[in-house]
Amino acid sequence: MRTVYIIGVGMTKFGRFPESNVIELGRTAALNALRDAGINKKDIQVAYAGHARTGQLYNRECGVGQSILWELGISGIPISSVGNFCSSGSTALREAWMAVGTGMYDVAFAIGVEKLTGRAGKGRPLTSDGVELLTVMGFSPPIYFGNVATRHMADYGTTPEQCAMVAVKNRKNAGPNPRCQYKDPITIEEVLNSPVIVEPLTLLNCCPTTDGSAAAILCSKEVVSRYTSKPIEIAASALRSGPYKKCKDITTFGSDRMSALDAYETAGIGPEDIDFAEVHDCFTIAEIIHYEDFGFCKKGEGGRFVEEGMADMGGKLPVSPSGGLMSRGHPIGATGLAQVAEAVWQLRGVAENQVEGAKVAFTHCAGGFQDTIELGDVQSSAVTILKRGW
Amino acid sequence: MTTDNSASRVDTIGNLIDPKLKPFIKLPESPSGKPHLIGSKCSSCGEYFFPKRAVCPNCLKDEKPEDMLLGNKGKLYTYCIVKAAPLGFDAPYAIGYVDIPEGLRIFSPLTECDKGKIKIGMDLELIVDKIREDETGQAVYGYKFKPVSL
Ligand SMILES: [Zn+2]
Repeated sequence: MRTVYIIGVGMTKFGRFPESNVIELGRTAALNALRDAGINKKDIQVAYAGHARTGQLYNRECGVGQSILWELGISGIPISSVGNFCSSGSTALREAWMAVGTGMYDVAFAIGVEKLTGRAGKGRPLTSDGVELLTVMGFSPPIYFGNVATRHMADYGTTPEQCAMVAVKNRKNAGPNPRCQYKDPITIEEVLNSPVIVEPLTLLNCCPTTDGSAAAILCSKEVVSRYTSKPIEIAASALRSGPYKKCKDITTFGSDRMSALDAYETAGIGPEDIDFAEVHDCFTIAEIIHYEDFGFCKKGEGGRFVEEGMADMGGKLPVSPSGGLMSRGHPIGATGLAQVAEAVWQLRGVAENQVEGAKVAFTHCAGGFQDTIELGDVQSSAVTILKRGW
Repeated sequence: MTTDNSASRVDTIGNLIDPKLKPFIKLPESPSGKPHLIGSKCSSCGEYFFPKRAVCPNCLKDEKPEDMLLGNKGKLYTYCIVKAAPLGFDAPYAIGYVDIPEGLRIFSPLTECDKGKIKIGMDLELIVDKIREDETGQAVYGYKFKPVSL
């Protein structure tokens, strides 16, 4: 694999845009990325579009990437869809990284998009994709993470207050970020007293329903100097699926541990070398477990990690300085690339909630469930490590 | 279900079980009998599966693991109490993961949803009970675990 750089990123604002559609959202983010890279559209050689629910919600299983790029006059090149649960956007980035890294192409486009406000069943938890058997028994992602939280609390003494601290921290981080859906500060009491969704998780422990898109343009080391003197290097892009393990421990995610280890190995770094992380905080308890699974702290100490301010801006390892999924929202296929876009701005030193002097970023996206009654692992996990390329 | 013990009642329940769950549930043959979950066991490596598998994923030698009745007792591994229910489900209800004797950790609704009465590690037994209602308001049955002490 040769070195691959990100030369441009773009995003839409994330929020509820009932009048929009996936093509319009994707087009806006893609155009922003093209302008950010200052690249001629004719230079784009291959494109991957990540989206997870456009088939189920809008009868657009395929062709989302073609339609978005059609509007921008990019056609004829290889374009394909990448569906991989909540990691769809990160997987699109990884496909683009491999396409350039292997030497087959010099310039690649990765786009992630989702529109969730159009879904039926407003006010009810989003069901997971392809889990018919579990769904007839009443399964939903908040239920999985409610079960995770109960056991983590029992095994390690993690408290509802510590979970709430994740939500409070991420909302505080969102304050200056104009792309976040929710920006007003919240208190621990407000999180604890918000309506219970699945005890022990209240509404403000769960990420909201959101529409949005994000995109990135990648190129090879050979051509990077044509576009920028400040490229961002993709030091690693790892992807894993959920490992099967009998009587799995619900307080740790095997796919996440493996993707993080792969990424650390590829990048030749460890958790101590990271300046900040954007993790998949779909539920507050998930972020606490991510600290543990990624080696930011020891197993069982995630609650204390947030309570002691280690994940705060200025802490040992700031987590989700952008506001995270909790504040930005989680348009499934867009999230992975939104994290990458926010990380690129941090590494360039131009983020609204800047981590001073950030040089190495860790981003992580994960999701999906196997449709079986046995306790299973999260079915996709993607970790990207980005570094300043100058 | 507790007041009516006639055999026809068992037949009726059989018809009310969600079609997706039907292959996994063995109803009692007599009114005093207990229901069981139907799993499978690989004839080559001895591994148990629930739900049953078409091929043994461990050794790939058994392409039709034999159906086995699984134990109808369990211990609670973890749980949560659902307050915002999916369509057709009546909140609050508890749902969790149960360790069954064959060494499997399985998803199951629970009968008890009073937080003070649910404890990780508590002994549970399998029952067949209403889990939700369909679009027409008709009760849909499935399996659940119930605290042994209640
Ligand atoms: Zn076998």
